[in-house]
Amino acid sequence: MNRMLFWGMTILSIAVAVCTAFGQEDMELVDNGAFDRPQRPPAIFEHDAHNEMAGLDDCAECHHLYDESGQKLEGESSEDQMCADCHELKDVGSKPGLRKAFHNNCKGCHVAQEKGPIACAQCHVR
Amino acid sequence: MHALYQFVAGPLAWAAFIVFLGGLLYRLIRLLILVRNREPFISSYMSWRYGLRSIVHWLTPFGTVRWRTMPVLTVVTFVFHLFLLITPIFLLSHIVLWDEAWGLTWWALPDVLADIMCAIVIACCVFFAVRRSTQPEVRFVTDSSDYLILLLTAAPFLTGFVAYHQWTEGAWMTILHMFSGELMLALLPFTRLGHMLLGWLTRAYMGSEFGGVRHARDW
Repeated sequence: MNRMLFWGMTILSIAVAVCTAFGQEDMELVDNGAFDRPQRPPAIFEHDAHNEMAGLDDCAECHHLYDESGQKLEGESSEDQMCADCHELKDVGSKPGLRKAFHNNCKGCHVAQEKGPIACAQCHVR
Repeated sequence: MHALYQFVAGPLAWAAFIVFLGGLLYRLIRLLILVRNREPFISSYMSWRYGLRSIVHWLTPFGTVRWRTMPVLTVVTFVFHLFLLITPIFLLSHIVLWDEAWGLTWWALPDVLADIMCAIVIACCVFFAVRRSTQPEVRFVTDSSDYLILLLTAAPFLTGFVAYHQWTEGAWMTILHMFSGELMLALLPFTRLGHMLLGWLTRAYMGSEFGGVRHARDW
């Protein structure tokens, strides 16, 4: 019983450590791996600190989901996917390309809310 | 800061482009009316052939005697004007904004190259300023407005360079960059920067007169 508890706790600890290490709690930069030759450094983004400051509880606010016809699916979210899973490098119909999607999502909201960075250098910090 | 950014990036940018294009049109129409009222005989010898011949010669580096007698000034003048036009039009950050506003995209310069071209434009402006203040024959025809239009031209490049290299914090350098560009566009038709449009007409006139009246070269 003790042995089972020991292994159980060990596996759980490792799982928590791995999730924390690769999860968004520690995320400091937006992953720009999908871009061919990015011209600017990846945007600085501290996921949890940002959401706390912005008072964001709804994941779908950023991790949105759209159906084939381009209709936003209310109540559904996409945090289990990479942005690049849906957004190609170039625009496809009404679906913005990856760069535009990032900019719309971040800067678009900052402009609308009149809060947060808006100029290039404020996110793409060298 | 957000309200200011949105004002400078939105209504003020529209106003600048409207004043720029409307102003150039106004200058053109006013010039044509002036010619018709004061010197209508010009139209009797204005010639596409001689006009374009002169423009082509003056557009060719070292294609005129004047370009050949001042080789350094020639190189600086050509490089300056080429980079002045190419850099902002093919700058990735500008294309990103056009793409996000209107869905327009085209080929972009690599940022590293655009950075060097921007620095060269600034260096050319410094060259022109130094030349104006040190060469007696240029100083003689120079007044403060000449330095002012140089500053007006250099400002968008200078502020863009500083914003790109992130020597300042926050959005204000980017806002200043946009504002200086808009100021340059809006004042262009009403200053000697108007040579962007009227220079072609002056050249065409000179070419026509030299070719059709004096039967001489003007290059």
